[in-house]
Amino acid sequence: MIKTTEKLVFESPKSLKAGMKFPFCAGCDHGVAIRLVAEVLDEMNLKEKTIAVASIGCSVMLYDYLDTDCIEAPHGRALAAATGVKRTNKDKFVLTYQGDGDFASIGLAESLHAALRGEKVSAICINNTTYGMTGGQAGPTTIMGQITKTSPNGRNEEYYGYPIKIAEQIALCDGTAYSARCSLDSIANIKKTKEAIRKTFEVQLQGLGFGFVEILSTCPTNWHLTPQESHERVRNELFQVYPLGVYKEV
Amino acid sequence: MTKKLTTGNHAIAQAAINAGCDGYFGYPITPQSEIGEFMSKKMQELERAYVCAESEIAAINMVLGACSTGAKAMTSSSSCAVALMQESLSYIAADELPVVLVSVMRAGPGLGYIYPSQGDYNQATIGGGNGDYKIIVLAPSTVQECIDLTYKSFYLAQKYRNPTILLADGLLAQMMEPVEFNEYPYPEIPIEDWALTGAKNRASRAIYSLEPKEDRLVERINTLFNKYKQIEENEVEFEEYQTDNADLIVTCFGSIARNVKSAINQCREKGLKVGMLRPITLYPFPTKKYQELAKTTKKFLTIEMNMGQMVRDVRLAVNGQVPVEFFGKSVGQWLSVEDIIAEIERFNG
Amino acid sequence: MNYIKLDKTRCKACYLCVDVCPKKLIIKGSQPNSLGHFPVEFKDPDNKCIGCAMCAMRCPDIAITEVVKN
Repeated sequence: MIKTTEKLVFESPKSLKAGMKFPFCAGCDHGVAIRLVAEVLDEMNLKEKTIAVASIGCSVMLYDYLDTDCIEAPHGRALAAATGVKRTNKDKFVLTYQGDGDFASIGLAESLHAALRGEKVSAICINNTTYGMTGGQAGPTTIMGQITKTSPNGRNEEYYGYPIKIAEQIALCDGTAYSARCSLDSIANIKKTKEAIRKTFEVQLQGLGFGFVEILSTCPTNWHLTPQESHERVRNELFQVYPLGVYKEV
Repeated sequence: MTKKLTTGNHAIAQAAINAGCDGYFGYPITPQSEIGEFMSKKMQELERAYVCAESEIAAINMVLGACSTGAKAMTSSSSCAVALMQESLSYIAADELPVVLVSVMRAGPGLGYIYPSQGDYNQATIGGGNGDYKIIVLAPSTVQECIDLTYKSFYLAQKYRNPTILLADGLLAQMMEPVEFNEYPYPEIPIEDWALTGAKNRASRAIYSLEPKEDRLVERINTLFNKYKQIEENEVEFEEYQTDNADLIVTCFGSIARNVKSAINQCREKGLKVGMLRPITLYPFPTKKYQELAKTTKKFLTIEMNMGQMVRDVRLAVNGQVPVEFFGKSVGQWLSVEDIIAEIERFNG
Repeated sequence: MNYIKLDKTRCKACYLCVDVCPKKLIIKGSQPNSLGHFPVEFKDPDNKCIGCAMCAMRCPDIAITEVVKN
């Protein structure tokens, strides 16, 4: 119990399950991203009207963390499931939490068409440039030259082609109301990410269209870097390929 | 009630609306595209959910999402496109969601063609999804049954929280017959204790199929199979026609039963002791009925518009008690009454 | 006095908080927790904590469960 003169400036958000522990590897940014989602749900008082859609990958057990109703979608189909939820429940708040493989590789059609239809849902995509849960294989966002389990010599044009720039692609869709790319490499960027998440939620509530935020995140285990080195990699290597910013705001 | 001349596709679509379908999500494919066309107009008029999905994969997952909230939702598709939905049907079965899928068979394999066919009996009853699961499958043989069994599909899907397939074919979907649109005859099933409606004044809920803990996974599969046992005990439906003292029982499902019935009438006039057994529920399969009839008949003849799919279930049910023969033409070829009579005479002889 | 509450059972010893504390009040610990990690420790004998909560914001595991400011 804190004293009356004391002010709580941080506490675990109510939209996270009490006592829940993230199972992610040490230093993984997933925990920060999910906590930010929960903080914004708290601040916007959305917990009771939220139906979250979990995807396949490290984020699959979203329902173990978020204390909201939640449905698991098959791999890549989170935004199709979210569409079904929202179209039959217009008064509910619907969000997806997906990795880049789920959102932009196997689920690219579902993601892009949800944006094109202007579905009033909010989508959060964690871009860590690899398939984390399966052990660090090359994904749609693996950058040129990046060594992964399935790009042992680094990603090259001949065998792999080029990575997708998700936030820019989503911004091109007429149904998109907000599309931004953020990062969790620093406290300043964590704060900006939280504001971007808030914005994706607001455009849904205002009925403006599809809200999207791509969050550059780390995968220290599969990058074979320390958590600190991983954030340096985000700054030194990913920012050039994936510039931060708001790509669309209506 | 006055009768209305209606195609199978429109009958299914109107029945879905009468059943209170809250959301239709679909992608066109012949010979069932008229269902989506009809729904695009009616659902918007009624301000219900309708989405032109970007693919059948998206469509079935939209239905998954909608049904997770307790909404009545459906998609419709055909053969090669129903193949695309198999992964999600496995998830839906594991999630115990009341999904209705209308599957209107065309000829396969591959792209095949739009000829009438019954080539997707195995696809519907066995399925191509992963793991141990069952889907309720209802097979209409008339346009009126398209209506009645669409109602029943919604009801059974809700009652057992289980995916349910209405398995029609191109012939039935495209032909017109006079039908009666009676009202949806089933009670509404409460959804409050499981549906995702927002965690207000209750604990949060999740619907998922991932089970990392072995004992919990085993428990869930056992729960599913206890439910399937209930379905098998309670929901078997079939049509029995002229089976009294029949030496030969012709067995078939869906639209071909119409010709089989005509053939049986003509054979009976000729003095042949022939009857028909038509499973209406392909799952649950009327196994007990076959076993019962195997005690009195001398032979079964399975007739299908495929190379022999249901015949395997018939043989499993009859279990060697009497011979089970098969007659069919490759998918896409209609079996005439004359073809069937010739076959009955051959097997009866 | 400003302070943080640390739940050492949640700490996975990524030490990201060590770097962000502007007053360097969080240090790598020497006693392992049940996870086998060496969780961080909060040492603020001179009441230097400014209650900025950057450590809590940085922590991926909500091991810093509360930040209190006077």
